[in-house]
Amino acid sequence: MTRILFSDKLDNCVAKWRSAGLTVIGPVQGESLSSYATVEKGTDLHLGLVLPDRSLKELFFPQTEPMLSYTIKKNEIETADFTPPSAPRIIFGARPCDASGLAIDDPLFGWDYKDEYWFQRRNESVIVTIACTKADDFCLCTSLKLAPDSTKGSDVLLRSLDKNRGWLVEELTDRGREAFAIISEYLQEGSEPALPTVEVPEKFNLDTCVTWLQNPENFDSKFWKEISMRCIGCASCTYLCPTCHCFDIQDEGDTYSGIRRKNWDSCSFALFTMHTSGHNPRSTQSARWRQRIMHKFNYFPGKFSVNSCSGCGRCSRQCPVDMGITETLQEISKL
Amino acid sequence: MTETIHNAQPNIYKPAIMKIVARHDEAPGVRTMRLEFQNPADHEQFKKTFRTGMFGLYGVYGEGESTFCVASPETRNEYIECTFRQSGRVTSALANADVGDLVTFRGPYGNRFPIEEFHGKNLLFISGGIALPPTRSVIWSCLDQREKFGKVTIVYGARTVADLVYKHELDEWQKRADVDLVLTVDPGGESPDWKYRVGFVPTVLEEAAPSPDNCIAVICGPPIMIKFTLISLKKLGFDEKNVYTTLENRMKCGVGKCGRCNVGSVYVCKEGPVFTAEEVSRMPAADL
Repeated sequence: MTRILFSDKLDNCVAKWRSAGLTVIGPVQGESLSSYATVEKGTDLHLGLVLPDRSLKELFFPQTEPMLSYTIKKNEIETADFTPPSAPRIIFGARPCDASGLAIDDPLFGWDYKDEYWFQRRNESVIVTIACTKADDFCLCTSLKLAPDSTKGSDVLLRSLDKNRGWLVEELTDRGREAFAIISEYLQEGSEPALPTVEVPEKFNLDTCVTWLQNPENFDSKFWKEISMRCIGCASCTYLCPTCHCFDIQDEGDTYSGIRRKNWDSCSFALFTMHTSGHNPRSTQSARWRQRIMHKFNYFPGKFSVNSCSGCGRCSRQCPVDMGITETLQEISKL
Repeated sequence: MTETIHNAQPNIYKPAIMKIVARHDEAPGVRTMRLEFQNPADHEQFKKTFRTGMFGLYGVYGEGESTFCVASPETRNEYIECTFRQSGRVTSALANADVGDLVTFRGPYGNRFPIEEFHGKNLLFISGGIALPPTRSVIWSCLDQREKFGKVTIVYGARTVADLVYKHELDEWQKRADVDLVLTVDPGGESPDWKYRVGFVPTVLEEAAPSPDNCIAVICGPPIMIKFTLISLKKLGFDEKNVYTTLENRMKCGVGKCGRCNVGSVYVCKEGPVFTAEEVSRMPAADL
């Protein structure tokens, strides 16, 4: 028998999870942008958003993160590691594209050298995803061979009932089952049809695009310059992207004490690859846009057998000059 | 600040603390430093993993980290030597550090020169300017077990006599009967007492005309030198598979995560920095 979580029990669930020591996080409308943030009660959750403006990534790979502190004394350097606070948490109302984004980046942060900053947070988070019943013109999960109810990266998948009454609960992992055992008193057994997931039209044929990208001759195609001519290199696409993982390491402090931080960086910036000598392997904006597309659909899948794009569409949705992955791949599929 | 501090978690971005035990000025703005590990566990880890060709991130807290090769050979792993040109923020801070001061090292990272595969073969080292340090690590790794290799030829050039690095070691190689050293400086870079060659590395290489038979070439230098040296090696009959080089790119993590050092699909930090000329020729030239 399927179990149902009714919306009017959500406040109780949030309270219950909180009293069990879990931080509850979900989509919240901020003053300017919506994002995933901590909530105190169920009614704080904005579950009607197509998806938050900011992705789930920042809860696992923050915009800036202290890694260690240093104190320099005569003939001695003292350092102390910063690690993420030990805080089990439940993310309620993630979108499938955001949850997939986490699973996509797992092999990157784990290959060979394991990045504990990422994995400690991954291990302490339960991802409760709600299948999408609405989309906007920018959504493109189906073009990436994902779906509005894809379970990748999720611990629990919820399917909405009509009239915002609640959700059918599909527990996918042990971690999800444990989290829902906490609130089992608020779950009801029952079976009724869930709302159908939204139809997201396929915007391009991914295989055609990947074949074009893999052809070495196309690396030097004049297409790259044409498609990226209006890119202003602001990096919004990379910062909002649920899978973009590039970072910088910077010291904040002085000769005697300070903090070494890991900060988001972006392949859109000229300084990203600039050598001390002044030589820059990717000296033009078009070379940098090519890098972003190649990385997502050629290099990354070559290493980890998965595209570094979950089809959230934020890059196109928020681009100040109306570019994005969708347009680029649509154009490539026409070449 | 909500973050907690504790020391139990292994932190892959945490460098080892190194003491500068010696330093030596090689050329204007170019310095070699010998570094010793302060923590025996870090040293053991280094001895276990370091092979010639690998690189590290050298750093000064408060300034950051910079990527360059380990210039000392795998046969001498009691210490690390690095040679750098003072040019940016981190290298300036390193240059300001004195013997006895503490700096940091993270590594060794990357792949290596497969010198076991070079056993029984002739070796040709070609290097230009500040690119001798990575080559020098391989040279000493081979010379320290000289009997395992055939003829050893070193072609080294710099813009001027002053720009030649490791001058004391060049003298040593010059004197050795089992090493053939060809030294050159660019036209106009010679001093009145210069008694070796004058000319660009590729030209001098073609004149020296080492045989490609049973020979491995290791070349390292500025991109323009590499470009023309590869042409010369091809003329001399070298197979691209027997020509090795080492690439450098800006890096932050050194461990395949920060996303910037790739040339095409190849991550220099993980799949490199050592490549054969054949591998390099398959990379998109516009991304180099």
